Amino acid sequence: MTLSDIWLFLQQGLLSGLVTGSVYALLAIAIVAIFKTTDVPNFGQGEIFMIAGYVALSLLLIAGWPYAVVIPVTVVVLAVGSALFQRVVMERVTHSKGVGPQLVIATLGLAYMLKGLVRQTGLGDTPRSLPSLVSNDPVIIGDAFLTRLDVAIFVASIVAMGLIYLMFNHTRIGKAMRAVGMNPRAAQIVGIRLSRIRMLVWAMAGVISALAALLITPKILITPDIAHIAILAYAAAIVGGFTSLPGAVLGGLIIGIVENLVGLFISTNAIAVAPFLAILVTLIVRPQGILGGKPQVKKV
Amino acid sequence: MKPAKTLLVAALAALTTFCAQAQSEPGLTDKTIKIGMFGPLSGNSITYGFDVINAAKMYYDKINKEGGVNGRKIELVIEDDRCNANDLLAAVKKLVEQDKVFMLNGGGCSAAVVGAREYIDRMKVPLVMQAASGDGALYPPSRYIFGALSISQYAVGGSMVEFATQNLKAKKIGYINHDDAYGSWNLEAAKFQAKKNGVNLSVESINPTLTDVTAPMLKLRAANPDVLLILTYDRPASLLIKKAHELGFNKPIVIAVNGTSDTKQLAANVGNKDAFKNVYTQGLLADVPGGAKLKWVYDMYKQYYPDLAAQPGHPTTYMPEGVTPAMVIVDALKKIGPDVTREKLADALAHTNLDTGITAGPIVFTPTDHAGQKSAIYMKFDGERETLLPGVYSSSWTYTPSAK
Repeated sequence: MTLSDIWLFLQQGLLSGLVTGSVYALLAIAIVAIFKTTDVPNFGQGEIFMIAGYVALSLLLIAGWPYAVVIPVTVVVLAVGSALFQRVVMERVTHSKGVGPQLVIATLGLAYMLKGLVRQTGLGDTPRSLPSLVSNDPVIIGDAFLTRLDVAIFVASIVAMGLIYLMFNHTRIGKAMRAVGMNPRAAQIVGIRLSRIRMLVWAMAGVISALAALLITPKILITPDIAHIAILAYAAAIVGGFTSLPGAVLGGLIIGIVENLVGLFISTNAIAVAPFLAILVTLIVRPQGILGGKPQVKKV
Repeated sequence: MKPAKTLLVAALAALTTFCAQAQSEPGLTDKTIKIGMFGPLSGNSITYGFDVINAAKMYYDKINKEGGVNGRKIELVIEDDRCNANDLLAAVKKLVEQDKVFMLNGGGCSAAVVGAREYIDRMKVPLVMQAASGDGALYPPSRYIFGALSISQYAVGGSMVEFATQNLKAKKIGYINHDDAYGSWNLEAAKFQAKKNGVNLSVESINPTLTDVTAPMLKLRAANPDVLLILTYDRPASLLIKKAHELGFNKPIVIAVNGTSDTKQLAANVGNKDAFKNVYTQGLLADVPGGAKLKWVYDMYKQYYPDLAAQPGHPTTYMPEGVTPAMVIVDALKKIGPDVTREKLADALAHTNLDTGITAGPIVFTPTDHAGQKSAIYMKFDGERETLLPGVYSSSWTYTPSAK
């Protein structure tokens, strides 16, 4: 490997990592938001992302609707579907004195149901692509090479994260969500309806999943198994801090970059292992994650 | 005893022995021979079973109409294995123990069929696979199991390197495969072929679930190969072709059969016809689908299943792969003659050398190698049409017990 190769690999690894990492970051935000407000790690997050891709694909290619309609409809379908799942399934499990593992199993059930649903549609396991809204024309940055689609993915993800930040800090609903995340009992005492806020958090997770799917599926293609991307989002959440939304963003970008640099400088075999290695290192060195604050101890 | 009487007694004794022998073999009568067939008839992998089994059924029916094999009509008992190892083993056990078939002909999914190896060996029932390559069940060879009638993964790798060397005149080859069992099998034969042909191989192995192929593609571009061989599944293959085009890689790219189950969808997924300016695909049959050499198979399918043939998506790409094993079985049974046993069938199959006209190369089984087909054809793919290139390219790799 020459010096110019090393310099190129560094630039390309960083930039390509930022693009995919921004999508991992979006999904990590959805995971962290649900975890903070419900104490449940949502193991159906990948499948929610996957189903969003298939909803958009069906509307575009089968129903023949234009993108201008498909995007809002997909976002609404995912928001309503996710909120309904919280209201109909999760809320009932909670009311029937369901404990953590039962709630986690419920999210796993959602994952299997969604995957089975897609496979019943006849779309099968053939990889498919959403038509890209942005061209694949090259964009050269330094020596590295991206496409306009890559740039659009990164910019749109950053804008979405900015909007989420504004919502959490400058709207009543966002502040209520944060309050529920900090102390649900206290939030309830001051008049915040927990079930409504949790529904809204799930709806927000659905919206984020839809955005992530619409952004990245033209790049990475879609199959029922694409839900595995959620593992990378989980890695991002753990590395960044499972209770921190900015941490989720940071973690996503780190995982994206680490994947690329490991692939370029160590081995392409090791790309799949890199996120898990990052999780292990984080858990050993800083178990609460980079921006996870002080380790939290729960009274039992 | 008079000579005539002695002769009559001897003939009667021989006849009695023959009848007893025929009846002692399960699934065998004087008039019929029962074959157990299994494959995915439902579920996600139905494409590897449904039309493959339809093809086998039509061929056996044709043989029956022509009088059967040595006077015996072929009876089929068919089970759905859903491409799942547990379901496949259950199907095989039912066929052997309840339906008491004479032999087995089935299996569309390699990983699933491997799980039945131990049982088949124990029960000593000959199995000829259908669409499955089944390398895991073929190496080391089992006396009773025969497969890779389409091609083995080992042969996929060897043939790809042979094509790149002989046709594309490559001296330096970029090779990207998966880091799973399939990948290790095709790479072993590819390395063997590269060494034999005196060419250099730059290898990148990736996980099948990889979402970002920038790293492997950039490394391969940096290696500056004359040809890039892609031996991944459909999704990574699409991503790699797309990325190669984005990175300005304009050398020839050859996609193995693992990644070309649906070339129309492949082109749609890449989304840019310019990316296919220098792309080749590997094929396992003697001709492009629907080509002149395979016309009789497609015509027979239309004749037997007119309603199905009128539906979109039928026959599936894998349909002809049901006829080849049926031809091999009929050929072996005919060679044995009327005095057929499972052991004789295993012996006859192990000495098969049959050019079916369906696959790229002949089906050759030997006592030490039960993977039947080692050749492939190659097509130039422009994103719409596949144009057949002259020649058949074979893998030279052979199994050596000491290497394992």
